[in-house]
Amino acid sequence: MQQANCERKEYELICVIVNFDLGSKVLGMAKKNGLSGGTIMLGRGTVHNRLLQLLELTDIRKEIVLMVSEKSQAHRALAVIDAEFDFRKPNHGIGFSIPVGAFIGTGNYEYDFNAEDGGVDSLYKAIFVVVDKGNGEKVMDFAKAVGARGGTIINARGSSIHETAKLLNMEIEPEKEIVLMLTKTESADGIVRAVRDNMKIDEPGNGIIFVQTVTETYGILNA
Amino acid sequence: MNILVGYIKDNAKAVFPLALVVVLLNLTLVPIGWPLVLRFLVGSILVIFGLSLFLVGVDIGITPMGSLTGTSLVKTNKLFIVLFAGLILGFMISIAEPGLMVLAHQIASVTLGAIPARLLLVVVSIGFAIMVALGFLRVVLNIPLKVFLLVCYILVFALAFFTQPEFLAIAFDASGATTGILAVPFLLALAVGISSLRKDSKASEEDSFGLVAFASAGAILAVMVLNLIIGTQQYDSLADLGSVAVERVAILRPFLKYIPSSFGESFISLLPLSVALFVLQKVLFKLGKYPFARMVKGFVYALIGMTVFFVGVDGGFMEVSSVMGSGLASLDNKIWLLLISFYLGFFTIVAEPAVYVLTHQIENVTSGSIKRKAVNAALSIGVGIAVTMAVIRILTPSIELWHYLLPGYIIAIGMMRFVPTLFVGIAFDAGGVATGPMTATFILAFVQGAASSFEGANLLRDGFGMIALVALLPILTLQILGFIYQARSKKQGVDTDAAS
Repeated sequence: MQQANCERKEYELICVIVNFDLGSKVLGMAKKNGLSGGTIMLGRGTVHNRLLQLLELTDIRKEIVLMVSEKSQAHRALAVIDAEFDFRKPNHGIGFSIPVGAFIGTGNYEYDFNAEDGGVDSLYKAIFVVVDKGNGEKVMDFAKAVGARGGTIINARGSSIHETAKLLNMEIEPEKEIVLMLTKTESADGIVRAVRDNMKIDEPGNGIIFVQTVTETYGILNA
Repeated sequence: MNILVGYIKDNAKAVFPLALVVVLLNLTLVPIGWPLVLRFLVGSILVIFGLSLFLVGVDIGITPMGSLTGTSLVKTNKLFIVLFAGLILGFMISIAEPGLMVLAHQIASVTLGAIPARLLLVVVSIGFAIMVALGFLRVVLNIPLKVFLLVCYILVFALAFFTQPEFLAIAFDASGATTGILAVPFLLALAVGISSLRKDSKASEEDSFGLVAFASAGAILAVMVLNLIIGTQQYDSLADLGSVAVERVAILRPFLKYIPSSFGESFISLLPLSVALFVLQKVLFKLGKYPFARMVKGFVYALIGMTVFFVGVDGGFMEVSSVMGSGLASLDNKIWLLLISFYLGFFTIVAEPAVYVLTHQIENVTSGSIKRKAVNAALSIGVGIAVTMAVIRILTPSIELWHYLLPGYIIAIGMMRFVPTLFVGIAFDAGGVATGPMTATFILAFVQGAASSFEGANLLRDGFGMIALVALLPILTLQILGFIYQARSKKQGVDTDAAS
């Protein structure tokens, strides 16, 4: 399964949180800067203000944009997005990036699962699988068959280089599901492989998987 | 940016084009006088603020209560309770709907008491309630939405054969009136609550829509059945509804006049849901103090918002649009009338309270994949065409209402085959959503104003036609949107890896 590629690439997960309706703009800018795609989730933020709390006006709708990319490219894209949105100012949103251990799925990226990210030894991995709406349940089934103990499905939308159609000058971003699973490092490889093979992730347009090292976990029961 | 400020911004954007056209027309084609224009502008501001407050109330009060009710009902795991609650809730929402009350009284006076207002109110509410309960049952028993809609509308067609024209008009109007400002948000949220427990995420998403459509079909069916029972009768269709007495000088006084009635209407329509909230809290929800207080605050927002909204619409919009309609209709060049009809339909629909709730819900259910802008565009085009068609019908009296409705609904049902289920549900719901208070007052007054300038046009008949059309056209345009959406979201360039 491992590809003996000579040069190992490092990947980063970019996470940008902005006000509702700006997620698509972030994604569009990222794509212009060479990223292959991204996934957007809806979130809810709150404001700390006594009066507004009394009036129940504290909710703000947010969008969370997740994008995975090669490290230097990711930093470039994040800098461009920051320049546009001016994250330094309050209420303009936030952006950050986290190293990613393995990344599979957009076809043009190589994959090296056993590589350590950040040099941290850890017992657990977080596996993120992004697939088309309705397939999250299947991913869970495949993962459970090879030892995953559970997972969480998050509704999202997103688009990649394969989905570029426009409607009324808006980019169409089809619905997605993100499956998040926390597993032991030794079983992570098998789960990724099972999902990867069964969902045909290596074929373009079928979804992506990325894996991150988790340093601390609570609440995961080991039977 | 907090939600209230966001709503005020959005609603200001929605109302601005309406204010613009009124001012421009006043300067050019139809000088309606500055006092009336100023009243319209004051009305616009009230509408913007009222609508925004109402939407906050929907967000923190009505929607959470609706979806919590849906979820709690399913969790009881007893079919009997789900059906029973559907009947009770449906009946209570419908019978307290101000639009339906007004309609029932109008019909009672037009038919000289042959159809008592109370009878119509109860019959429509029963039909509405039965269909809400059946809509619940459909989700629980997993009957496909398309099949259910098909059966509904075949039944409507079959009964329409035996229904006399006056009743046909009443039936469609009643369905538009019942799916009003409160019923829609609550029904939408209920549907989401009930369907959210399903494991299959696709089906759960699809089942989030369609309940409003069933409920409004229920109202149509109920009126038709009523006609079958009491039989065909001859009605005096000449009765005049009494045209709006135009107050041309005062600017602020008309608003004050509407405050008590607007507050009363809002209070009565919120009453059944408020009672239900307290009863369900005791029996089923058992929420903590904080979340419960939050919902109650939401209801207060909704009450204030609805009152301000109705004061703005009744005091500022009605007369202006009526004067504008008759002024434009008396111009020799009818092109202007048709163009303005389309313009008003196109922009008014975006300021319709339930429309915002529907688009908001679509965004939440699809995680923002189906954008508000796209749905709004389809709705705007649909309602614009609908109002234009209604005006064309006034200009050419030989066109009967069913000349539009029959082919329209046949196309709407035929299109279901080619459109994703999610969009079918959204489209048929949008039909009920579009006929809200803005359409029933602002646009209706415009169309009736235009009709009043024509010899041989019948105020009542043409008004009814307009509402039926506004309910139909969005079904078509949204299904077209769904069709395009499906065609365009196919993955492209999957074989050619062209990433840079």
